Amino acid sequence: MHDIAVIGAGRIGKIHAANANAHPRIRLKYVVDPVADAAQSLASATGASVATLDEVLADSSVAGVVIASSTDTHLDYGLRAIGAGKSVFCEKPIDLDLQKARAAAPALGGDAPLFLGFNRRFDPNFRRLYDRINSGEMGRLETLHIISHDPAPPSIDYVRGSGGMFKDMTIHDFDMARWLLGEEPVDVYAAGATMVDPAIAEAGDIDTAKIILRTASGRICVISNSRRSGYGYDQRIEAFCAKGLLRAGNMVSSTVETWTATGASSDPLQNFFLDRYAQAYREEMTHFAEILGGANPLVGFQDGVAALAIAEAALESHLTAAVLNVAH
Amino acid sequence: MGGLHARNIAASPRFRLAGVADHNQELAGELAGELGAAVTSYDDILADPSIEAVVVASSTSSHLENVLLAVTSGKAVFCEKPLSLDADALTGALSDIECTSRPVFIAFNRRFDPHLRDLKRQFVEGSIGALETVHIINHDPAAPRLEFIPRSGGLFKDFTIHDFDTASWLIGEEFVELFATGSCLVDPEIEALGDIDTAKLILRSAGNILCVISNSRRTGYGYDQRVELFGSKGALRVDNLATTAVSRLGEEGTNDAPFPYSFAERYAEGYRAELNHFADVLDGRTAPATGPRDSLRALRLADAAEESLKSGSPVKLEGVFGDA
Repeated sequence: MHDIAVIGAGRIGKIHAANANAHPRIRLKYVVDPVADAAQSLASATGASVATLDEVLADSSVAGVVIASSTDTHLDYGLRAIGAGKSVFCEKPIDLDLQKARAAAPALGGDAPLFLGFNRRFDPNFRRLYDRINSGEMGRLETLHIISHDPAPPSIDYVRGSGGMFKDMTIHDFDMARWLLGEEPVDVYAAGATMVDPAIAEAGDIDTAKIILRTASGRICVISNSRRSGYGYDQRIEAFCAKGLLRAGNMVSSTVETWTATGASSDPLQNFFLDRYAQAYREEMTHFAEILGGANPLVGFQDGVAALAIAEAALESHLTAAVLNVAH
Repeated sequence: MGGLHARNIAASPRFRLAGVADHNQELAGELAGELGAAVTSYDDILADPSIEAVVVASSTSSHLENVLLAVTSGKAVFCEKPLSLDADALTGALSDIECTSRPVFIAFNRRFDPHLRDLKRQFVEGSIGALETVHIINHDPAAPRLEFIPRSGGLFKDFTIHDFDTASWLIGEEFVELFATGSCLVDPEIEALGDIDTAKLILRSAGNILCVISNSRRTGYGYDQRVELFGSKGALRVDNLATTAVSRLGEEGTNDAPFPYSFAERYAEGYRAELNHFADVLDGRTAPATGPRDSLRALRLADAAEESLKSGSPVKLEGVFGDA
């Protein structure tokens, strides 16, 4: 049994706390949040205690911490927790500033037990897609299409603090591209637009983007993003291989169909990322238990930095309408 | 292509196939014999006042010359896409074609596919609100014979040309920026011939509608022809059509029937609808849905794609298409 603490009692902190609590090899000992009510409420719900980060880091019985606080604290808390000898499960993104993130490489890179929570790698559908690409049964992967459209845009307050669509949303797709291609993208072209809400443009961001990544061996990945689909959470990946196509489709809220004189109707797509990736979050906690047991993280600090480097290049490409080299 | 159109003409109650002309007399004889038409020469066709119209399905390099000869002889023309591989030559010939006032229909088969037409109808009727982005997937089942590659005009002019026209048709706006990247991943021989076999493109319209085009010369699973429109209230898509509706369910999973491998099969209805449209044009009921200017627009996008591929940078299109 591994004792852990969850830092951050917000939306994603609650998910990780509940999964930690339900895991047979993990015991949730502490919840940390500067908002006392939020910390107390989550601690009560999970049978944990409220503590400060300093108390958590000083408690030698705590083997690991889950960092689910606001993005601007990820790097600092990660450094402190690793420095205190804890294993770390840190929510994505590692930071919004590439230079700042890279400066942490001596402490967080290499063998540091820091697991970065790119949840899509733990989705059973995408994991199966990855396994089948890598089994070689379909021949060499040639091109990849990643469609990632949110059901509805976040609040303007969220947009302002998000670091922009590429670092906040597309960061997932950049990680999926690296993972599935098994090769670093070297060039990026990103075309963005504000089609959904003019307030997003006023906040200095975009809500719609199409991106092309190229690898050194000439393989190509297309990413499509929208902040608002109008039909649920659209999460699809197609892998075009030498012998055919592998694709992972959307998850629907139920499999019930209605067939009438006006055609066949299915229930809508799952509408919320916490529903769509519920299993992935559980698998992440299982992987963290493996790390606490001595395993190496499947995705770590360097992956976070690499995705952030692509996001920075994509933003520059969008702003200058030029193809950008990704400086890894 | 000529055989396909000739058989559709012979089967249509609205046409009589008077003659078949081809440099290869044997080929012309076989087709004419099969369809009860005469073997003839292009000169004789043009000189025959009883012939109202010609279908030009010769090699692409001869399209423009054959069309010019036909319209100046007073014939209406149905010409396979593209009208030309050379934008300057086509631009120069535009006034010669248009001053004859004879109808010239350039056949882009996608516009006549019932599935894509229904997609467009639903979008125009507002079923997904305002159009925001478009995805076009156009992947061939297998690479063409290598001897075709040098005279094809290259992937963009030969293959992507369809998608440029489809994008123009669906979006209904001029494009202001285009980025194209390509690779040779299917067959290194294609690269040795100076062409590519895989491409992804992003086009931006004047109204900021972004369009992705994906091309491959080889799928391994049939002819992949899909279009998705993303709008403010939802999405519309045309999926691939299986050759039959039979599925087999077993211990290892479900296996559906394969997709068609040939364009003639996938777009069979589209080719018949093209001819029906041409009959309407000849009856004076409508003007051609697509003409030389549409072919020129698609060709200029193909030229821009080649420029983008060579330079490795996006290409601004403002000004280039001001006349279109």
